[in-house]
Amino acid sequence: MIDHLCDQASKSDIAVVGLYCDFLAQHEQTTLNMLGAILKELINRREIPKHVKQAFKKAKRESSYLRPRLPDLLELIKATVASLPQVFICIDALDEMLPKHRSDFLRSLQGIVRGSPNTRVFLTGRAMVLQEIKEHFPGAVMVPISPTKEDVETFLVMKLEGDTEPNAMDDDLHTDIMRVIPENISEMRVG
Amino acid sequence: MAYNLFRDIEITGHIDSFNSPKDEKRLIPKWLSPLEPHQRHHGVRTNRVDGVGNWFLETNEFRNWSGASGGDGYVPPVLFCYGDPGVGKTYLR
Repeated sequence: MIDHLCDQASKSDIAVVGLYCDFLAQHEQTTLNMLGAILKELINRREIPKHVKQAFKKAKRESSYLRPRLPDLLELIKATVASLPQVFICIDALDEMLPKHRSDFLRSLQGIVRGSPNTRVFLTGRAMVLQEIKEHFPGAVMVPISPTKEDVETFLVMKLEGDTEPNAMDDDLHTDIMRVIPENISEMRVG
Repeated sequence: MAYNLFRDIEITGHIDSFNSPKDEKRLIPKWLSPLEPHQRHHGVRTNRVDGVGNWFLETNEFRNWSGASGGDGYVPPVLFCYGDPGVGKTYLR
C-alpha cells in the first residue's frame, strides 16, 4: 500500500506516511509518539518547515527538549499538512494499539483530517475496532480483506520455490498442495 | 516526559554548539518521536510476495479513495480495511 502510493507520489510532491502498530511495542505507541511519528514522516526527505524548526528551538531554549504537547503537536502537523499538495496517512494494525491510546489517537487524527481536505487516511485492523473507527470517522469506507484464491496460489508458489528441503517433495505432493490449500482459503494466511 | 533524548549530545556539554542546519535535520526527527516507522516498513517490504493483494488496488473503494478515478467528485477521505490476523492487510502493496 505504502509503496504503491509512494510510486504515485514520486511524480509529485505528495507525502505518504506509513505507521505500524505492534503488540510488542504497545507502551511506546502512545498518542504523542504516534502523532510525532506522523510529523517525523511528513518532514522526512524534505526541507524541515520553518514552524517546526521554531518549535524545536523553543523547546531547546525553554524546556531542555521536552517533546511537544498534544495541542502544539497537532498545530505543527496541521500546518505541515497544509503546506503540502496532498498527504496520505496509512496506519496498520490499529487493533494492536492499547485501547486508551487508540481512542485519543483516533480523535486527534480526526481533527487533522477534518481541517485538511487534501488528506487521505488508510487504516487497517481486525473487525473488533470497526465500531470505534465508525464513531470517529462516520464517513469511512469499510472494506473486508481476505486473500483471493490467486493470492494463496502466488504465495504458495513462492514458498515452495524457497523450500529448504526440496528432496522431501515429489510431484504428487506438490500437486496436492497446490490443489487442496487454495480450496481452503478461509483458513489460509498470507501475512 | 522529559526523555533523555539528546543524551549523546548533552554528555559532551556542547548544548549551544549544535544549532547548525545539519544538526537540526538529525535532531528534530528524534525530538518528535522515538518511533522509527521507516525501519518497520523496510521489513514489510522485504517479506512481501509480489502480486499478492494487488486485486485491492483495482477496487472502486481504493480508487475512489486514492483519487485515481475521479468519479462524481466525492472522495471519501478514510478507508478502513479489516480482517483477521494473517489475511494480508499489512502486505497490501
